[in-house]
Amino acid sequence: MTPVLELRNGTKSYRGVDAVKDVTFDLRPGEVHALLGENGAGKSTLTKMIAGVVEPTSGQVYLEGEQVRMNSPSDALRRGIAMVYQETSLVPSLSVAQNIYLTDDKHFHRLRGIYIAGQQFLQSLNFNVDPTAQVQALGAGQKQMVEIARAVHHNAKVIIFDEPTATLTPEEKHQFFSLVDRLRLRGVSIIFISHALEEALAISDRITVLRDGELVLSKPTPELDRDRIVQAMVGRSLSEELYGDNDAAVRPAGAKVLSVQNLSMNNIVRNTSFSVFAGQVTGMFGLIGSGRTEVAKIISGVHKRDFFHGGQVRLDGKPVRYRVPRPAVRDGIIYVTEDRKQEGFFETMSIAENVYLGALAGGKTRSRMINLREMKEIAQTWSDALSVRAINNDANVIELSGGNQQKVVIAKALVQKPRLIIFDEPTRGVDVGAIAEIHQLINRLADEGVAVLVISSYLPEVLQISDRILVCRQGRIVEEFEGRQADEATIMYAAVH
Amino acid sequence: MDGTAVVLGAKMIARLLDNILGRGAAAVTVPTLDGALRPNRLLDEATYRMPLEDVDCLAALPDGLRASAGRCLYRLADQNWCQIAEYDDRITALAAVAEGGLAVALACGEIRVLGGTYDGLRYHLRPTLGCITALAVAQGQIYVANGSAHTGADNWQLDLLQGNASGSLHRIDLETGDNAMICAGLAYPAGLVMTEKGLVFSEAWKHQITRIDPQNPINREVLYADLAGYPGRLSAMDGGFLLAVFAPRSQLVEFVLREPAYRQRMLDTVPQSCWISPKLRAGRSFYEPLQGGSVKQLGRLKPWAPTLSAGLCVQLNAGFQPVQSLHSRADGATHGVTSALAHAGRIYVAARGDGVVVSAQFNNERRGA
Repeated sequence: MTPVLELRNGTKSYRGVDAVKDVTFDLRPGEVHALLGENGAGKSTLTKMIAGVVEPTSGQVYLEGEQVRMNSPSDALRRGIAMVYQETSLVPSLSVAQNIYLTDDKHFHRLRGIYIAGQQFLQSLNFNVDPTAQVQALGAGQKQMVEIARAVHHNAKVIIFDEPTATLTPEEKHQFFSLVDRLRLRGVSIIFISHALEEALAISDRITVLRDGELVLSKPTPELDRDRIVQAMVGRSLSEELYGDNDAAVRPAGAKVLSVQNLSMNNIVRNTSFSVFAGQVTGMFGLIGSGRTEVAKIISGVHKRDFFHGGQVRLDGKPVRYRVPRPAVRDGIIYVTEDRKQEGFFETMSIAENVYLGALAGGKTRSRMINLREMKEIAQTWSDALSVRAINNDANVIELSGGNQQKVVIAKALVQKPRLIIFDEPTRGVDVGAIAEIHQLINRLADEGVAVLVISSYLPEVLQISDRILVCRQGRIVEEFEGRQADEATIMYAAVH
Repeated sequence: MDGTAVVLGAKMIARLLDNILGRGAAAVTVPTLDGALRPNRLLDEATYRMPLEDVDCLAALPDGLRASAGRCLYRLADQNWCQIAEYDDRITALAAVAEGGLAVALACGEIRVLGGTYDGLRYHLRPTLGCITALAVAQGQIYVANGSAHTGADNWQLDLLQGNASGSLHRIDLETGDNAMICAGLAYPAGLVMTEKGLVFSEAWKHQITRIDPQNPINREVLYADLAGYPGRLSAMDGGFLLAVFAPRSQLVEFVLREPAYRQRMLDTVPQSCWISPKLRAGRSFYEPLQGGSVKQLGRLKPWAPTLSAGLCVQLNAGFQPVQSLHSRADGATHGVTSALAHAGRIYVAARGDGVVVSAQFNNERRGA
């Protein structure tokens, strides 16, 4: 059978460093092909070559047996190759429907028309998103849905999903998988990049693993299991380290660092009360839209609570009210965002500059004047501590893989020496090796006495790292479990009922 | 206009705005019961329940447990209470004294010692203390907590609603009877325990536990602030302490406490049993005010119903941070915990609201316990 898409001996180099090295990759009609690998393994670069985002340094792309040259993503889209990015590429100031029909000239100027079409189209995909809503007002999960809808709308022959399920709730994931099945039946071929190996094993027909830019494994899915894939990805077995049985004792709570009392913000956060203790990891689970991120943002001064009777936030027993994040940072409250591209770093700045900006914001530099030598020292310390993989610390953050970008965001937070750190989806779009490192880091912080709040939509992660688990539903904390005692079903039941 | 006047003016405006917007000091919020204070039913499910009408304070002596109820003193024998003494005034606090003695504080302000080395001694502080809430004995001294200079120990609701902060701590030399005030101006000190680092007391109306140096009372350290209830008596146990929380805080009460005119009118015109205030036992009269919402579902009282009374005993670690807790929820039968102590490997909790002493056990497997 002629592959619908083929990359032969593809190589892509940046500044003389090979991001992808002599990789031959093919995709058959109606096939779901999972592409796996650690952060920086070259998955995104490989798919970007296929989707016309970057030009291969060497190698050829064949579409249905014919050699083609993709000049741009729109060129690729015209040829039937659509890409759904890991970090959403939507226009934030436009509505959902406008984004879906963005390149559709006949629709674009008729708002009413595109809203009706958008409504029908989104309903046909079972996506519960308002077509008239502005994209910037949507949560990460809903943005992902719009990205998927846009790709499906363009009747693509090949759709590349880069971490499509990272921000989706379990229910939404089920919907996504049934959508993939429907696309497969229509003969659409799918490249599926994911760090959730179970998902790749469940829905793919073939799995290809990249390591350090090279292809190390490509086999039909039935011939593979989780351990073999992980070994191929990282060269060692990480299964137990990641989500294996955790017999570690629950850390006892230290002093109450944060007390949130009857906090309210519009209808998103409704009379929420909870506490966070020093020396413990408090996990917060909830479905997307349950108000977890908003609570974290109110605490850290990004959002404002209700003007009238908005409740109280107490830090060490004293009421605090931050109108901007700066005083919260000064008080030792750090929020590590879920949307790193928009809120986590300055993409045109280097790793060193980003980390140094964090130190400056937290007042942790030797002087208030910019000191280039200190910047280099701080960046080197944190790059080494968090194993950031980059050519050097002068590389722009935007050039890094998702996992390494996340490490830079975390370094930028930790350099401020927080007393309370809030991680919002800390391992979203991060590979298995980096997940283990980030989990170890979170545990280390708690062991050192820092109060840690981890917001996550991934239940195994919440269960693995939390000493206590809070469940959020419809803007309220509805349940609390002691870590290690809860199970997935109980937590999920609390989150949806 | 000088700088002080400007600052005062700004503070007044800020307070006015806070009152209008319901924030800052005027935010009607209460901390949630979570973490180590997560609700359970351990008080109601306790192995032994030993009824004793009006039980108030407990003390552990080498030969057994003592309890006070009204004017009488009781000893526990085979899960039953035997009366061993009766006084001419109400007993307001007990504490064990060296060599099997027991210090008994009476509502009239007198402290008598029963048994042990100092048997028969009587101490009377000047001026008379009318609201002794707790005693602690250490290093040849009796430390005395006087809850209020204005009301008696049984009239604590009035003291709270009047917004008083007239409590004080005192010291009496057991040998000589010399006494001295350690500090005053406290918001109803209701519990006392002596530690290596100083005297620790609970301040009920400020919902906090504070450590003070008895020799230098200016040195104070708040050990645990913003409790979810009104903290009462403290007692030492293996590796930590026990705290009796005699009533829960509620948003309705917090609201009333921020409305002085309303509060005064309520005190003047409404019978005490129907005041909006924390109680040792609530829910027995249909005249009682409610916080809002329904308290019953299909005829059953909801455990999470807004309530003016509950049962709560907290185990604190050596740093006075909560480790675990025993609860009796809104629908429970062990409300108004006024005293808790560890004795012979068990925890004894006196619930005055329901007139019962229960014997329970913490889960010692829990780390930090």
